[in-house]
Amino acid sequence: MSEQADFLLRNLPNLLIGLPGHRPGGLLMSLLLAVVGVGIGFAVAIVVGSAHTSRSRAVRWVAAGYVQVFRGVPLILLLLIVHQLLGSATVLGVVSTPLLSAFIALVLYSSSYQADIIYTGLRTVPTNLVDDARLMGSTRWEVYGHTKLPYSLRVMQPALTGQAITLFKDTSVVVILGVADLTTSARIVLGSDVTNAPYWVATYLTVGLLYFVVAFGLSRVARRGEKRLQRADLVHSLAKLG
Amino acid sequence: MIDWLTPETLNLLAHGVAVTIVLTLITSASSFVVGVVIGTLRLTDNRPLRLGAGAFVEVFRNIPALIQIIFWAFAFPSLFPQAARQAIFFDNAVVNWLGAVTGLSLPYYAVAACIGLVLNTSAHLAELFRAGVGTIPKEHVDAARTLGAGRRAVFWAILLPGGVRAAFPAITTRLIHNMKNTALVSFVAVPDLFHAVQGSITRSFRAIEFLTLAAVLYLLLAAAMSVLLRQIDIRLHRGRGRVRTG
Repeated sequence: MSEQADFLLRNLPNLLIGLPGHRPGGLLMSLLLAVVGVGIGFAVAIVVGSAHTSRSRAVRWVAAGYVQVFRGVPLILLLLIVHQLLGSATVLGVVSTPLLSAFIALVLYSSSYQADIIYTGLRTVPTNLVDDARLMGSTRWEVYGHTKLPYSLRVMQPALTGQAITLFKDTSVVVILGVADLTTSARIVLGSDVTNAPYWVATYLTVGLLYFVVAFGLSRVARRGEKRLQRADLVHSLAKLG
Repeated sequence: MIDWLTPETLNLLAHGVAVTIVLTLITSASSFVVGVVIGTLRLTDNRPLRLGAGAFVEVFRNIPALIQIIFWAFAFPSLFPQAARQAIFFDNAVVNWLGAVTGLSLPYYAVAACIGLVLNTSAHLAELFRAGVGTIPKEHVDAARTLGAGRRAVFWAILLPGGVRAAFPAITTRLIHNMKNTALVSFVAVPDLFHAVQGSITRSFRAIEFLTLAAVLYLLLAAAMSVLLRQIDIRLHRGRGRVRTG
């Protein structure tokens, strides 16, 4: 039993921040992947989700197609496709690496989910709110920027944080590109060496625990924040009245 | 024109699609049943059962499906002594029968992958079902109880159909997500569609063609599932309008 503990203790830094020479890696890399995927994905999602409500049919179709395609393909396949398409190309002055491919694929994947959430939110904005704003003399763009988008983001905030936490768990599949995240680090630590077989259970339980602590912890924090926000929020009382 | 699609790879892909479809059907149905059971346990008055079901949901929902699949396939058997391992997981009547029926060389890995997927998806479905039951007006339950319905009758006639009906759009989304997650079984050497695509690429070196084909196939599967589940959704709501206005 102490051998197990010894093995885990020796490899804990490798799981948390990556193996020497591959840092940042491990859990830190998983978090980094999720933050970039969710962050840039959010910006893309605002554009795509809003385009989905456009008055132009062509724009609407492109936005809907974007969501359908990137949401309908398994992330693991999307990672391979992006990596294959980039090849050894140089993107914006950066030589493509598996990490860059992972970032791009995660942004595409996460933005399609977030775009759909924002689109749903935009459609739930009460029409009288929009009409009132228009009556007050706001242009369509002003109504969108000052009324519809803030309303939709506030109402959809729980769904968006839920999606962000889901993406954190989904980053585990970047192991297919060999990006040194938590899952990949676990595989490297265990290696193909048969002598490490006794440590498989303990290592994967630890990895599972690390994912669990972050995902469960974040969802708890998010829920507490939402409750506090909802208690004194005009938008939410409006949303409840429907 | 399509010279990269040889009969050999076509055969490989066809088998892959079949495995993906079968895996999706098995894991969807099992996850639905387990999800409803766990979701129901979370609503019971029995405190240990309720807490146990809550722990099930949080644990299996918050650990990535890939980790769960690898754990059950590769890590779990190593808990058993070397001698027993072979007999329990890889060479016994049940496993051999499964191998003969499915044509899989290592049927235990497929079983392990299913366990991982079902635990993950059912934890999500349990939560959706519980939320669905939460939307049922309390008056419905009270009315039924007043009319003399027992707890079992209330569950089968109101909570179960009402909860599933309310949660069905979200359940649909999750089941399609589960279908995409079946691609992860290729990590434990189950010859699904994704595995077949990887195999075809190593044989032909035509990566982008096969990856695009795979994307199209997954999109078609997702579309087919969404049409199928939409039909079930419509059926679940059949006659509802009349009851409400009657």
